[in-house]
Amino acid sequence: MPLLSLRNVTKRFGGLVAVNNVSFDVEEGEMLAIVGPNGAGKTTLFNLINGVFLPDEGTIIFDGHDITRLPAFKRAPLGIGRTFQIPRPFSSATVRENIAIGAMFGAEGKKTSVDRAMEIADHYIDLIGLSEHRDKPAGGLTPVEKKLVEIARALAMKPKLLLMDEAMAGMNPKDIDYIVDFVRKVRDEEKIAIVAMVEHIMRAVANLAERVVVMHQGAKLVDEETEKALTDKRVIEVYLGKPPEEKNAEG
Amino acid sequence: MVGHQLAGNLIQGLILGAVYGMATMGLSLIFGVLKVVNVGHGAFMMVGAFLALSTFKLLGLPPVLAVPVAFIVGMLLGFIFYRVAIKKLIKGPELSSLLATFAFGIILEEVVKLIYGSEHRGYNWALGKFSLGVTVVPYTKLIAFVGSILVAVLLYVWFNRTKAGKALRSVVEDSEGARVCGINVEWEYALSFAIGLGLTVSSGVLLTLFIPVGINPYMGGHYTLKAFVIAVLGGLESPYGAFFGGLIFGLIENGSYLLFSSFPSLEPFAMTRFFSFVMLLIILLIRPEGLLKTK
Amino acid sequence: MKAKKYLPFIPVFVAYLALFLIGETVSGIWQLIAMLAFYCALGQAFNLFMGMTGYVDFGYVAFLGVGTYGMAITISKLYSHGLGFGLIAIGFALAIVMSVLLSLAVGAVALRLRGAYFAIATIGVNEGFRYLIEGAKLWNGSEGIIFSGPLRMAFGRQTATVLTTFAADVFVFIIALAAAFITLVYMRGKVGYALTALREDEDAAKVMGINVTKYKIIAFITSAALAGLLGASAWALKLTYVYPPDVFEITYTVEAIIIVLLGGAGTLLGPIVGGLVYGLSKYLLAIILPGFQLLIFAPVIIFIIVTFPEGLVGFVKLKTRGTWLENYIV
Repeated sequence: MPLLSLRNVTKRFGGLVAVNNVSFDVEEGEMLAIVGPNGAGKTTLFNLINGVFLPDEGTIIFDGHDITRLPAFKRAPLGIGRTFQIPRPFSSATVRENIAIGAMFGAEGKKTSVDRAMEIADHYIDLIGLSEHRDKPAGGLTPVEKKLVEIARALAMKPKLLLMDEAMAGMNPKDIDYIVDFVRKVRDEEKIAIVAMVEHIMRAVANLAERVVVMHQGAKLVDEETEKALTDKRVIEVYLGKPPEEKNAEG
Repeated sequence: MVGHQLAGNLIQGLILGAVYGMATMGLSLIFGVLKVVNVGHGAFMMVGAFLALSTFKLLGLPPVLAVPVAFIVGMLLGFIFYRVAIKKLIKGPELSSLLATFAFGIILEEVVKLIYGSEHRGYNWALGKFSLGVTVVPYTKLIAFVGSILVAVLLYVWFNRTKAGKALRSVVEDSEGARVCGINVEWEYALSFAIGLGLTVSSGVLLTLFIPVGINPYMGGHYTLKAFVIAVLGGLESPYGAFFGGLIFGLIENGSYLLFSSFPSLEPFAMTRFFSFVMLLIILLIRPEGLLKTK
Repeated sequence: MKAKKYLPFIPVFVAYLALFLIGETVSGIWQLIAMLAFYCALGQAFNLFMGMTGYVDFGYVAFLGVGTYGMAITISKLYSHGLGFGLIAIGFALAIVMSVLLSLAVGAVALRLRGAYFAIATIGVNEGFRYLIEGAKLWNGSEGIIFSGPLRMAFGRQTATVLTTFAADVFVFIIALAAAFITLVYMRGKVGYALTALREDEDAAKVMGINVTKYKIIAFITSAALAGLLGASAWALKLTYVYPPDVFEITYTVEAIIIVLLGGAGTLLGPIVGGLVYGLSKYLLAIILPGFQLLIFAPVIIFIIVTFPEGLVGFVKLKTRGTWLENYIV
């Protein structure tokens, strides 16, 4: 049984179909990239999976639970973590408190005391290499540091599935490598399925993902292994006929 | 007989409702453009009321002549308050601008209290009255009714027919897009805050034609609450919605007064106010986008 | 580790104890001290909701109002039943019940709303409730309840005097301490972290698994119950009458907002500092410039939110981060 399974999911905003009849599965511990240009419906898809929006049609099954109409705050404890395109740490709280909040209300939140959550936070702070910022308010960090705090906060939730929204947007290649290595390490250690959403197919995606789902105008265009997807004619068409290699240079 | 009385009450309600509507247009304009709730709304109306009082008592002129003066006074206050505080608070949490407008209201109340004292005042501008069969309407109220509609129409024309109005509308619809098109969004914010307060202060002038002895530095509180109900009826963000919200509110207020009067165990004046509050909560609960919005 | 978390309660306790002892030893200033304690307690209770959630309840005074009615109704209806001090206990209990019921009713509607809509909903609650009492002639309607007679009959003249002139104020001190203690317990527990998260970013908090409605309601009810107790002691017991326009006077909500902002929203010590600064300046202004208090305080509100949004304690808290003081200044 797949960890996450979307069946014929549709979401409309007024006359606009943001997500159109999309189905796909994510296996446990799998690494999936959702690729598509701006406006392809990726963020809406994420918002449907973690309950920010409810779908108009279709069903979403996670870990054996039908979560189609479950409120957002009940999905996180089932094991769905998320990072945002523009990092949204709790600005006035310290780095440590931010990550601890993840541990307090995540999948093991019920049995995690505040003190224990702080210990978990310390573990992840060391892991992401932000020890010297431990007791600083998260609002004062650089964008890359905020992103790391957000990833650590999501990991502290002990998710089975981590949704990463444009995890590498606006970063330089060095930072991207750092985050990719970090994410891969965590996934291997903690067996987390990761769905990463990216605007372009780039080196980072090829290195990271085992499988790629390409979205186009709200619908699923391609769902293949990364190698095959990178050379798929339809995918190349979506990207104005440019071969994926050229996109690498831009990334 | 009851039908007769009800018809009379509803006509009075419609006339007062037009003034209520106009009085709320400024509130909705400011919320629509800046997302700032003017919690000091009633205090600005109070300033208009005192301008009307002074025009009549000190200068011996018809009080409605204070309307343009009130508009200018309101705009000036708007620009000053925008510059002093709102400008810096617009991007911050809603709480900050809410408290700032609240504080503006207190400042106005206290300043007016220093000048005029806190006793209730009024004036008597009598022009005679005419009969509509079911009810009698003084000409002064008719002037307020027509004046309110006129202001609403002027605002509509300004918004839709002038370049400045269209620029402001584009900011309401898409402030980023407007910025890209070379519109000075910062200025549009200041302008709409000023126009909003100009409308509010002017409405205070017209309101005095309905309250013979109710002019007092602290009179605004009730009108803030009424304006909230009306603005929510009209969808909070649309000045025209607010105008029609005002008409509806006037009808409901006068209609429910009659209803509550028929129960001897109730005090109808207080119950009418209670009822408007219940209406506010119900609308916020089931239809926060307003009764009139079709979306 | 566990005990260290509660160290910030030491300065709170010391502050209230000092205030109490000054009032006891210096003759003729008990009324001033009682007023200061009231403002600190008001700030402390209001901060529990506004400071911790970032929502401004413009109708907050209604909770003090119904609490006042709770005590007034109890004493005026049950004074002849020989309940002794149980009468006062029942009065406080009814004050809590009534303020909690009102908070549930208000919360059920208003807490679904955000920002401006929340403020608009609550600003109407206070006025609306007052007009319900007057309009439906509830609890003696607009005439209010005077119960100095029943209080004397229940306790005798001497005890009644002690109750109104001393015990009522002592209750205020206890309520302030209780409010501060609950604030600290919340801050150090999951409630506090959940509230921090939802204050900063409500949508992100939901995605993190935080049931934002639940935590908002917890803060709202706690804050309302404390307000009810405060009304029952500082208004009902002290003044021995309730009059609707007095107990639903929006000025008290404004004062609570000023106190919390002055001291620092969401801090533990803020309401004490804010309450003392506000109370003392109000007292002094009433002597030096009578009638000008609000005219002076309104620009101060604007000044604080524009240039100094973290408040006095919030400012010091930022400055003492990383020093030994950070364990005490919260």
